[in-house]
Amino acid sequence: MPPELSNPKLQLAFALALGVLGTYLLLPKPKSRSIALGTFALVAALAIFVAFTVQSFGQPIGELVPDILFWLFSTGAIAFGALLVTQRNPARGAIAFAFVILSSCGLFLLLAAPFLMAATIIIYAGAIIVTFLFVLMLSNVKGPSNENDRVREPLLGSLAGFAFTGLILFALLQSKPAEAATDEPAEPEFALPAPLLTKDDRIALREVRIQLDAALVESDANAAEEKAKSAHDKLAETIGGNGVMGLRKPVLERLRPLIGDPKLPTTHDPRLLAFTKQTLQLQKTNDDFEEKYVMAGPGMEDKASLRKLRDEVTVYSGNGQLPARNVGNVGLLLYSEHLLAVEMAGTLLMVATIGAVAIAGRKKGVSV
Amino acid sequence: MISLTHFLVVGAVLFGLGLVGFLTRRNLITLFLCAELMLQGVVLNFLAFGRMHGSLNGQVFGLFIITVAASEAGLGLALFLMLYRRGRSLDSGIWQTIREQGVPSVVDSEPLPKVIEDVHPVLTVAGHKPGVGSPTEGASRA
Repeated sequence: MPPELSNPKLQLAFALALGVLGTYLLLPKPKSRSIALGTFALVAALAIFVAFTVQSFGQPIGELVPDILFWLFSTGAIAFGALLVTQRNPARGAIAFAFVILSSCGLFLLLAAPFLMAATIIIYAGAIIVTFLFVLMLSNVKGPSNENDRVREPLLGSLAGFAFTGLILFALLQSKPAEAATDEPAEPEFALPAPLLTKDDRIALREVRIQLDAALVESDANAAEEKAKSAHDKLAETIGGNGVMGLRKPVLERLRPLIGDPKLPTTHDPRLLAFTKQTLQLQKTNDDFEEKYVMAGPGMEDKASLRKLRDEVTVYSGNGQLPARNVGNVGLLLYSEHLLAVEMAGTLLMVATIGAVAIAGRKKGVSV
Repeated sequence: MISLTHFLVVGAVLFGLGLVGFLTRRNLITLFLCAELMLQGVVLNFLAFGRMHGSLNGQVFGLFIITVAASEAGLGLALFLMLYRRGRSLDSGIWQTIREQGVPSVVDSEPLPKVIEDVHPVLTVAGHKPGVGSPTEGASRA
């Protein structure tokens, strides 16, 4: 790729221009529209857009299956969304919308929201069927008609929509922090979920793990003890005092009494609670290790405590699991924190139902 | 690895596409579907931010958005039905008659393409002698 084409701003501008052109060409018009050219422009825009996203916000490496699913669902949602906008026949538009919903539900699942995914599918399945019924009932899909074959200001409308998208993408590009040159494996700046351990924490924990591994295989007892002692000190410094525990002390102290409470409020991040529990457990293991290994006399060292500490450090350094009990937690949160909003949503639905019946009902004496 | 920004980008594109459709299309049902497309983009943003902060509040907001979308669907479709009864069309352009005074009306200058209807051959009714001219001619003579 020529160097000037690898400029993200240029790529964004190209993708947006091609997007405007493709949408403009594909929007329904009474005279023949250029479907081939429009499709080509939109596909080219999508390709440049993917290149821009990968180059600017990170390459999909590491977890292969979620990455493939993400690209599949996001491409599906965007492609069917474009089809909905440019489709002349509203019945086909409704089918394209159904695929948009399915694709975005896949994205919801990737974002650890299975309940919302199921709710969206159930609600929109009904909505789409009703829409379909309306299309078949009311829309003139047999021949050319003003509603399906004409559009309002195609060029200005496309420009407005793509300018808005471009503005958001440009803002995202500008807010991206500059990459720091480190030997740490490449990791996105806005990881999902946000990392509980900082980059420095993880580097320190990796060193601790390497030292503990070396102590386990060291044949010389003195050298092994030296390494184990050094690892113990570094771990104590990392997770206690000014380390993980110290930096997050206000949060951790507030959460400490809640740990083990069966009615754990979901307003608190369950992941943070689990992390706190794990940190406290690791501190305890490190204290045990000091007693059984570091302070023990020569030849009395407990190798099992060394191995246990190594295992716990390994697990601890790889935090970031999916939240469990999604449905239960969402329900608890809805009926504890957002009870008024639930009541209001219910009232809104009732008013909308009454309004729909009142609007659609035939009035006596009015011939329409 | 997929990060927050990737989801935000998809949400922004979905919203933008919905906006293009909402601004340009004239079919009321397509307009409604485009508005729903924009809402999907917004829900995706809420979920991604909720996931990033490890909070379930994003999902709760998503549920409320779906509630609003359902209310909108109910009212919107009832409104479309009423408008159709009055105008016999789903074209939003016919309602420019209620525009503000002094604003010029939009006139569609380009004519719609004419549809040439296929003329299918009609067979003679069974039991009648085929005529020379039209099939009905033969039938009437018989």
